[in-house]
Amino acid sequence: MDTVTKEKWDKAALSFDAMTGIGPERRWAPAKKELFANMQTGKILFLAAGTGQDFRFFPPGHDIIAIDISSEMLKRAAPRAQVYEGNIQLLETDVHDLPFAEDEFDQIFTSCTFCSVPEPIKGLAALHKILKPGGEIFMFEHTGSRVFPFNMMLNLMTPLSSRFGPEMNRDTVTNVEKAGFTLSSVNNIYLDVVKTICARKAGG
Amino acid sequence: MKDNHYFIAGDILSNSVIAVISGLVCHWVFGPGWPMFPAMILGMLLAMIISTILGLAVFMRYFGAMEIMVPTMTSAMLAGMFVAMSRTMTTLETVDHALISLIIGLLVMVIVWLVNLQLQGEQIDNRGEH
Repeated sequence: MDTVTKEKWDKAALSFDAMTGIGPERRWAPAKKELFANMQTGKILFLAAGTGQDFRFFPPGHDIIAIDISSEMLKRAAPRAQVYEGNIQLLETDVHDLPFAEDEFDQIFTSCTFCSVPEPIKGLAALHKILKPGGEIFMFEHTGSRVFPFNMMLNLMTPLSSRFGPEMNRDTVTNVEKAGFTLSSVNNIYLDVVKTICARKAGG
Repeated sequence: MKDNHYFIAGDILSNSVIAVISGLVCHWVFGPGWPMFPAMILGMLLAMIISTILGLAVFMRYFGAMEIMVPTMTSAMLAGMFVAMSRTMTTLETVDHALISLIIGLLVMVIVWLVNLQLQGEQIDNRGEH
């Protein structure tokens, strides 16, 4: 396990709800609800669970494995998993070292995950491996921008933000393709920075 | 208050406050003795630091995630740069610079809204092909 990343997010867990629970979660709630409405029957993987703030946006009745690298995050997520009208199993693991079999999941959902995974293409490739052929990945992510001056701002913010949390200038859409997925849709929610990405594993 | 009204009010408030505070700090830091270009650069950097602190400590928590700091940082940097330049060349008063900074903040916010309208929505949609 990547202990540096784990320690960073264990520390961030202490103030995570205070920092993101009011504005960010409320602002992006409609887009997240719409994305998670794509959940279907079958085996679902969700990452990164964080403190479980996104669980309330999940449609009821699903069987979900929610992973996170931080045990402190998962401690806070546990009560939220319990009130979900379905089954959420929490698991502490690193996306670079997933304990799942090849072609195990029907769907994978991510929420603000690949701004923080140290090796995003490797991490996405690991998800590609455990997704069934024809399976889909649904992502809510913030990325870098292609538009000046937003790209400059995000590049300026990244050295600071990456010390305690995410990188602000990742090209996640390109990374998804580099990991072997075929893009189904990219929907910009705010500028070209906050977006939902849907992609498919070939086959099925 | 409906969520979209809350966040519109939040965008107005955060851009205005951050631009005005950045402008005022630059008004007090810089003066007629400063060379114009170094003052502009330093004003911009100072405003960037101010907007980051205010964004992280206050506005991000209530009005959105770090992405929301993109317009506020733009507002602050432009206001800081303009006021720092103005202090080296003009004798405008504190209130004038506060008003100019407020206008810069609101103008940046409106431009970002307009750009957002252009950028929002489906960029790729291949779902019908599967």
